[in-house]
Amino acid sequence: MTQRPQVAFRCRASRVFLAFLAVGWLIAAPATPSGFQVMTQGARATGMGLAFTGVADDPSAVFFNPAGMGFQEHFSIMIGGSVLGRKKADFEGADPFPGEGTSGSVQKQEFVIPLVYVVVPLTSELNFGLGVNSPYGLGLRWNDPENWAGRFISQNAVIKSLDINPVFSYKLFPELSIAAGADLRFSKVQLERNSNLGIVDPFGGEVQDLAHVKLNSSLTSNTGWGWNVGLMFKPIPEIGVGVAYRSKITVDYDGTAVFTQRFTGNPVIDGLVGQLLPQGEHPVATSVAFPASLNTGVGIELPAGFLLALEADWTEWSSFSALNIHFPDGVAPDLDRATLWKDSWAYRVGLEKKFASGWALRAGYYYDNTPQPEKDVGPILADNDRNVYSAGFGYNTPEWGIDVGGLYIRFKDRSVLTESTDNFFGRYSEDAWVGTASFRLSF
Amino acid sequence: MKTNPVRSMVFGIALAVLCAGPAQAQFNKFVVVGDSLAAGEESNCIVERFQERSWARLAAGLLQQDFQQPLFAEQVATNPPTGYPCLGPILSGASISVGIVSQQGPNQNIQLGRPYDNLGFNGSPHIKDFVDLKTTVPGRSDLDNKAAAILRNCTGCPFEGLSAVDEANSLAPDLVGFWGGNNDALDALGAGAAIEGVTLTPVDAFTAKYEEVIEALSVSGRTLVVFNVPDIGAVPFVTTIPPVVVDPATRQPVLINGNPVPLLGPGDAAFPCEPVPPDQGCPLPPGTLVNLQAQPLLASGFGIPMALGGSGLPLPHGVFTPPATFTPGVILYPDDVTSIRDHVDGYNAAIAASASANGAILVDIHTLFDQVAAQGYTIGGITVTTSFITGGIFSYDGVHPSPIGYGIVADEFVKALNAAKGTNIPRPNFSQILFTPNVPSVGPPAPVTTVHADHGTRTVARGGTE
Repeated sequence: MTQRPQVAFRCRASRVFLAFLAVGWLIAAPATPSGFQVMTQGARATGMGLAFTGVADDPSAVFFNPAGMGFQEHFSIMIGGSVLGRKKADFEGADPFPGEGTSGSVQKQEFVIPLVYVVVPLTSELNFGLGVNSPYGLGLRWNDPENWAGRFISQNAVIKSLDINPVFSYKLFPELSIAAGADLRFSKVQLERNSNLGIVDPFGGEVQDLAHVKLNSSLTSNTGWGWNVGLMFKPIPEIGVGVAYRSKITVDYDGTAVFTQRFTGNPVIDGLVGQLLPQGEHPVATSVAFPASLNTGVGIELPAGFLLALEADWTEWSSFSALNIHFPDGVAPDLDRATLWKDSWAYRVGLEKKFASGWALRAGYYYDNTPQPEKDVGPILADNDRNVYSAGFGYNTPEWGIDVGGLYIRFKDRSVLTESTDNFFGRYSEDAWVGTASFRLSF
Repeated sequence: MKTNPVRSMVFGIALAVLCAGPAQAQFNKFVVVGDSLAAGEESNCIVERFQERSWARLAAGLLQQDFQQPLFAEQVATNPPTGYPCLGPILSGASISVGIVSQQGPNQNIQLGRPYDNLGFNGSPHIKDFVDLKTTVPGRSDLDNKAAAILRNCTGCPFEGLSAVDEANSLAPDLVGFWGGNNDALDALGAGAAIEGVTLTPVDAFTAKYEEVIEALSVSGRTLVVFNVPDIGAVPFVTTIPPVVVDPATRQPVLINGNPVPLLGPGDAAFPCEPVPPDQGCPLPPGTLVNLQAQPLLASGFGIPMALGGSGLPLPHGVFTPPATFTPGVILYPDDVTSIRDHVDGYNAAIAASASANGAILVDIHTLFDQVAAQGYTIGGITVTTSFITGGIFSYDGVHPSPIGYGIVADEFVKALNAAKGTNIPRPNFSQILFTPNVPSVGPPAPVTTVHADHGTRTVARGGTE
């Protein structure tokens, strides 16, 4: 019996790295409000810079402020959706890694998210509403994924969500309505990147791509519950003051991890990696805490058919403080990673001009603070403060209406040059846009 | 229209100052002093391929310094080697082991008429040697041979009578990096025994000499950056072979009744041995470290109980026979490990105190390598570890860093310098460091046997940093 010191491809080191490859993937790139929140849940609101909590006078009130349903007297249904896209999302590398002169870009994907709202008056005071929408999500797929410098962190990161939100409103007084509801969230994550499995080429000492790893979960089997409440106060018909709160929703994900070998062309290395690499599908579990939010707004009807909306929104992103990755079958060690996000504020203003013909024009602006500290910025998500400009139009009658709105999102460039959780340094720049359309029927 | 030349000059100077941006310390001359870790030794030798990717060379490049080194050619290995052998990976069937892939050749920069900017030298210098080794005597010792090639201070040589510190000071540098003192503790790893005054420098003696070195290097207007001593837990030379019997086919511990089987050793004062026949050694206690020099002995059945097909003979522990005879071993009992760690802690306390007293910048390599040993080092999603051969941070001797390891050290050097001095020296480019192969610059060696360090002598694989 003899021993050999050639502990090539030691399992311990590799397992450590297998855990590293999963960390942080459970975030996706933003295209609208900060973090990975998607607030474009109504076309009128989109046109008015998402300042709608103090307005909430159409079926999208189910999302923006369900207490606004209390002032709606007809059965109404609204269907529509948003298309979210990037104009550009580029990266320029810096030392020490990936180094000056390196670059990357994100695929110009478009994402379509649906929205459906129903408002049903049950009594003169009690209304029922139901919303189906996607308030969180998006994705970030990097071009040239097998060569892009950040491929060991992320090649593709996706979050999808679908909320079913039944809610009741009750008109306590002619001037005051309150609302409460439940929120069932379905969500999935899909995360991909390459790995060096914690080892280098034993013959040259250099790093190589040895495996591709894909984490995936099902939309239908991963859910979380939350609740929401709202208040709408209209001291006079021309002024509405709204407050809406949505609770944190934690979704516990059970998914699969699949490891696919990347062949180097060296049969010795490839053979050893083949022995090392986990085969087949392996269970993986994680959890994402979608943050609570408190939106406060006022809507003021001005002379000449103008409507002014002002709003300040707070999002408790500090609840998204960590990501915990668990591999139940021990294929890789569990891993915790602090994300260090902070609560964030957004400030919005919107204006609508209604014409007697039924047409309306809208415009808006908001400034949104990022919750993501510089240290956490990386190829998975490079969020930043942003200036957002909106415009929209619509045609509405008491029986039906159609609205279209759009946002242009100008992110401030973000440089990560001193501290980085992923040790990945560089400068990110991004512009994005959103188009939202909806159709309403009222009876 | 007349112009006022004085006013124009003042305006020009003011404009230049405004355009210069944040004030930065400027370094005109960068010199490094130290042991093999400063010299850039890898895989048991110093050759240009390694020297050009050492932390000192990387740092000099980032500082935009002309940095003269004693560049040793890399040559095809002869059988037997005529130069210091360089180790590398050897494919044996489906397994990878370590053998000679090239050898160290002559100094290609020997004509330089002044001391080198990199005065790191190998041969296992201790802290005293940086100030006391003023005249080397080739042939006297391995240290003399190696130091003479770099310091060129042998009798009749250009810098006779000058220690490494003297040579550094003669260059009047305004930035000095010093990394020495490692061998005062880490020599015990290769010796296979921790013996105060023999394989370990007493802390008091270390402290006194370290202060002498630092005081000699501390000159008004000079920035001095010093490194401390890493822990042995980060060194694959003693962390690769477990102290239990391993099945060579599966590379997993052999289990008897669900328990691993310890290797055999001779015992020491803290762990006395009463062998149970037929074995002539006693089970190594948990926490014992086995160094890479044990490889050929294990292959011969040493340390393995007869019941498992071994010889039943113990792996040797280092033995000192007064007045001056030392026979190296290949194992470190837990009391050895504790003693080495206590000494390293004592040295590092002295280093920190001396750095503080002399205004030097301390690079805490000890803490960094503890973290790296525990978690690996991750950059851009790429993780490298301290695992032997495949981990990426250490070279093929299991003691000296690889280019990746030296890149990490260079990064720490720059970060410490920037933090302390407010400079904006760029950090190393890890894309180049991580993705550039490190392979011999010469053809395959003449057929030689795989390197197995001689048990009775200390030849190839060493415990210290040289």
